[in-house]
Amino acid sequence: MNYFPDEVIEHIFDYVVSHRDRNALSLVCKSWYRIERFTRQRVFIGNCYSITPERLIQRFPGLKSLTLKGKPHFADFSLVPYDWGGFLCPWIEALAKSRVGLEELRLKRMVVSDESLELLSRSFTHFKSLVLVSCEGFTTDGLAAIAANCRFLRELDLQENEVEDHKGQWLSCFPDSCTSLVSLNFACLKGEVSLGALERLVARSPNLKSLKLNRSVPLDALQRIMMRAPQLADLGIGSFVHDPDSEAYIRLKNTILKCKSITSLSGFLEVAPHCLAAIYPICPNLTSLNLSYAAGIQGSELIKLIRHCGKLQRLWIMDCIGDKGLGVVAMTCKDLQELRVFPSAPYGNPAAVTEKGLVAISMGCPKLHSLLYFCHQMTNAALITVAKNCPNFIRFRLCILEALKPDPDTLEPLDEGFGAIVQSCRRLRRLSLSGQLTDQVFLYIGMYAEQLEMLSIAFAGESDKGMLYVLNGCKKLRKLEIRDCPFGNMALLTDVGKYETMRSLWMSSCEVTVGACKLLAKKMPRLNVEIFNENEQEDCSLEDGQRVEKMYLYRTLAGKRKDAPEYVWTL
Amino acid sequence: MGTLKQIGAPQTQSSSSSSSSIDSNNHPSRTPPPPSSPSSSVCRNRTDLSTDLRLGLSISPSSQSESPFNSTPREESFDWPPIKSILRSTLVGKQSHLSQRPSLFVKVYMEGIPIGRKLNLLAHYSYDGLVKTLGHMFRTIILCPNSQPLNSGSFHVLTYEDQEGDWMMVGDVPWEMFLNSVKRLKITRADRC
Repeated sequence: MNYFPDEVIEHIFDYVVSHRDRNALSLVCKSWYRIERFTRQRVFIGNCYSITPERLIQRFPGLKSLTLKGKPHFADFSLVPYDWGGFLCPWIEALAKSRVGLEELRLKRMVVSDESLELLSRSFTHFKSLVLVSCEGFTTDGLAAIAANCRFLRELDLQENEVEDHKGQWLSCFPDSCTSLVSLNFACLKGEVSLGALERLVARSPNLKSLKLNRSVPLDALQRIMMRAPQLADLGIGSFVHDPDSEAYIRLKNTILKCKSITSLSGFLEVAPHCLAAIYPICPNLTSLNLSYAAGIQGSELIKLIRHCGKLQRLWIMDCIGDKGLGVVAMTCKDLQELRVFPSAPYGNPAAVTEKGLVAISMGCPKLHSLLYFCHQMTNAALITVAKNCPNFIRFRLCILEALKPDPDTLEPLDEGFGAIVQSCRRLRRLSLSGQLTDQVFLYIGMYAEQLEMLSIAFAGESDKGMLYVLNGCKKLRKLEIRDCPFGNMALLTDVGKYETMRSLWMSSCEVTVGACKLLAKKMPRLNVEIFNENEQEDCSLEDGQRVEKMYLYRTLAGKRKDAPEYVWTL
Repeated sequence: MGTLKQIGAPQTQSSSSSSSSIDSNNHPSRTPPPPSSPSSSVCRNRTDLSTDLRLGLSISPSSQSESPFNSTPREESFDWPPIKSILRSTLVGKQSHLSQRPSLFVKVYMEGIPIGRKLNLLAHYSYDGLVKTLGHMFRTIILCPNSQPLNSGSFHVLTYEDQEGDWMMVGDVPWEMFLNSVKRLKITRADRC
């Protein structure tokens, strides 16, 4: 079967990097499975409950880099109750016990305790990179352990985590011998850090390319840091409040002129109005600009800023830029690939962005492939135009702030608009729907969205047929998340085998009953079917006819999990 | 789901009959959130849900609606629109900031001119900025307290009335303290001080 010795095959496999390709290799034959598993260094686990850590370690003893995801996506929007799960601890314990030389750990939506961070920091001598996204459960004490014990740390990247501040000067715990930092992001931390320790750390980290500060770092400290790190490519500014007449501001302006390598800018967590002119000199070099947390910047200033940013590929902003501002983006940022427009108030600003802004972008930015757009309204005509102008969408996520809102011009549902998107964008992998939608849109999705992997639906559809169109049509579907839709038992049970081809299904406030979920769990032993019973009443008996408020099912080789809280019933 | 759909398009009597098999009476989670919800002072029934949406209220039909209403509402689980809670909390703070921008407008008179002006002190961060703005407004040069008037006739100094009714020279106390005590400003000729 093998025409080459193992060493040669191993060498060839070294060039195969993507997870999917590697997975495919392992399925070719037993011998390739064996070679592949011993040479695999990077593993991606999309659902931490799909497999046990022990089994993972057994298969991939050479593991160096692990990515784990915990809670379902809707946890971001407070739909998953507290303490549902996603604990890091058992993974770290198992890895620590084994002889795995872990170097990189990337976590998303997991519950991370200080104890696990401590254990992590002590167990792997060559640990280099920790990336935590949307995690919770730890404090600055855990960060102190990482800083103090990971001697070769290159990356500590904290993105949008809930971290309790224990005022323990965690940043000062990096020893003087630590000079290897390449990336440090603590923008999400609420507490203060020792500015002196921060400046000294930056001064002794010649490889530091990415630095993202939190709001406690004032302008004068920023200026000193930038002086010490002119090689920075990616900067997150904490506080940008200054008096335009002050010396600190003048010093900052001069320092900024020296930072030629900055291509990515973010933060502005605190910003005073009319301060942004200082950064205009950097703008022409920027390929990435994230102002989604810069609530203090007004629309007019945003527009002035954007005019300088001709090379932008990625732009995350707030909707106070307005339709006119998006027109400026369309004129200026011809290389734009990814755009996210966030609401500047939880229910949006009616004068903010509408379908007009999106159409302008689609006309000016032909390379656009990823979109997240919160808007006040959308029309079918606009979506059809966007679909024609931008056939390259990979991710298209539209959120019309008022749920169930139809096309304001025709008062019709948005079926045709989204239908045009899926028909035109043959490479679409991720789609989020909103507005008033009937079953028709799902017919279109099932028919045309052949590459679709993730679909998010809220307040849409009319009957079970809608969900069935999707389940039948989208062969590559991996994640389906549904809330507040009239999909029920028939949709759930018609093709139970489908769920083993997917990572997970979330349904909340739909029409499925306990009985149907029980039946599904019985038919498919390799699925965990969890229903959340958050009813506070004493009498917790679940009758078959009772509607299920929240259901989350996922394929797994690990069986029923043992760490579920009381309100989670795995059927 | 039928109920919500009709509500979502209040302007049109939607002719698309959503043949939903749901009898909303059987589904307790469809009842509106309890009246203690902070943003509502009106007793709501289901037809007000669209108003709720526009008013920016959570319409989460989760178990919250089941529990008897509390006098202090539980941590509101804002699950619509779908933005991360960490981003939402940034906005909530800023929204109140933006909708009623903090301002401190005080009257400013220049000696010899009967019509005064008004100025927002919170648009400035220090005495320097304030003095510059006033200098533009009144087309004069305002000296800082410690400098010697070169030719006292054509220069002015800035004074303010504090909470006790006394007129004081601007610039002696820290800026924040000044903001707390200032009631109004007066630009007087330097040789008068």
